[in-house]
Amino acid sequence: MLGCTYALVALGMYVPFVLAGTLSMAYSTYAAIGGYAVAIMVAKAGLPAWFGWCVGPLVSAVLAVLLGWATRRLSGFYLVAVTLLFAEAFQSWIQSNDNLTGGEAGFGNLPPVHFFGWSPSTVQFGIGAVALICSIAFLVERLRFSPWGVLVRAMREVPEAVEAAGARVPTMQLAALAIGAAIGNLAGALFVSSVQSVNPLTFTLSLVFLAVFVPIVGGLGTAWGCLLGAAVITELTLNVHALGQSGMLIVAVGVLVILLLAPRGVGGLIGSSRTLLVRLAAKSTARNG
Amino acid sequence: MGDEVLLVGTDLHKAYGGVVALFGVNLRLSAGEILGLVGPNGAGKTTLVDLISGTQKADKGELMLANRRLDGPASQRAGMGLARTFQRPQLALELSVLENIMVGRAGRRHGSAGGVIWGAARGMFGRAVREDQLAVIAIAEELNLDRLDRPARDLTLGEQRLVEVARALAQDPLVLLLDEPFAGSDASGVTGINEVIRMVQRRGHGVVLVDHNVDLVSALVDRMMLLNLGRLVFDGDPQECLSSAEMQQIFFGGGTAPVD
Repeated sequence: MLGCTYALVALGMYVPFVLAGTLSMAYSTYAAIGGYAVAIMVAKAGLPAWFGWCVGPLVSAVLAVLLGWATRRLSGFYLVAVTLLFAEAFQSWIQSNDNLTGGEAGFGNLPPVHFFGWSPSTVQFGIGAVALICSIAFLVERLRFSPWGVLVRAMREVPEAVEAAGARVPTMQLAALAIGAAIGNLAGALFVSSVQSVNPLTFTLSLVFLAVFVPIVGGLGTAWGCLLGAAVITELTLNVHALGQSGMLIVAVGVLVILLLAPRGVGGLIGSSRTLLVRLAAKSTARNG
Repeated sequence: MGDEVLLVGTDLHKAYGGVVALFGVNLRLSAGEILGLVGPNGAGKTTLVDLISGTQKADKGELMLANRRLDGPASQRAGMGLARTFQRPQLALELSVLENIMVGRAGRRHGSAGGVIWGAARGMFGRAVREDQLAVIAIAEELNLDRLDRPARDLTLGEQRLVEVARALAQDPLVLLLDEPFAGSDASGVTGINEVIRMVQRRGHGVVLVDHNVDLVSALVDRMMLLNLGRLVFDGDPQECLSSAEMQQIFFGGGTAPVD
């Protein structure tokens, strides 16, 4: 389930970062809004969880547009720094706001998810989560090759030319941020629905620091690379116990090794070994025939 | 058509710091007309194109396109029917030839917040974009561009210019601004660009062609404007322009600015 969360955060970052080239680091905030939206709807308002699933992405998208608008003149390091600070500030706000977010304690013992009387088992929930991620990756890939995606990718390199072709570059950048935030929000909603509790420490910046590597490890090119990267990162963090509780360190070293051995990520490695196999197969058929 | 005026510029001024780039230039382009804009380096040709397209803002002066004021950002002017190429080609090098031309086709649909949101929704959930691709492929075929899946990085300078022209043509513009489209082009590139200019003219639309190769320009255009040091020094028939005293003075005589 942690892998699914990372995959969704990474998919959320993929749209503005890999496609449009704007690196916002406030994704722990969007995930937290997603998680808290579910928790507050269920625990405070007594509404079904899916209502939180629908409201959260809208709230996150609006916040992303406001934050993107406020930081529109920043780029590179300063954009990263400001969005990081924002994420920190938002976490403190959650901690101090006892009425709305339950303060330090957050919400525990949320009832299990159910849709119109049907409560999925853990396995069913897992299958549903994977299906959700695959369909989002599919939609993001469609978006990448649509005229919209072409404009967004072009404006990363030649904003002047895209503007001269009639597209509003600032508006498109904000839209990319909003879509990313909405997807990142689903990561939080999924995680909280799964573990049935949330507190201010559920979504911290370490989530962002790990998620930032996911597209690189998986292969920068495609949205499917995010899924692959999330699987690798989660495996390294949780299941490799070479140095005790040193998940982060192992991830950092692992990322460096992967980047040295396969500059195009694990996805790129699989891609090129497939090409190699096809070429070898073709050669041997040619020899035999 | 015929005498219908497409583009009018009145008393255009632009200075960069203390350096005057344009000083009181007037300009008129009729429907179906090809206007040549020539002059030595630093004469203000590209500045004039930038002011028209909205890439830069004029310090003073007024621009009208088909009786509507041109004063918004570049994207808004493109929506009104302007398209341009750049002196240094502005192609997304990571994207394919087809995708670069697609930018021209898709741009105007994403000129407002509503258009951007609708475009994203259509991209994710809408039908396939086959129609757009076919339109782009048709334009590329007219310009004899092949292997459209090549990344723009692999193109020669001449091919890059041709792709830029194709992108501008995909906008189906009322007025097409070509900033030095022939520099670095080979023979087939020159033919392709000539073809585009004729195509826009046949549709009854206008072309502004900028170059410092006066012989090449004079053979193509209906009217020629000669700029020097930010001022308009001649406006009229191309042949008369070539033999005018001003032209002799600038290009062959005393030489008030370097020629390359």
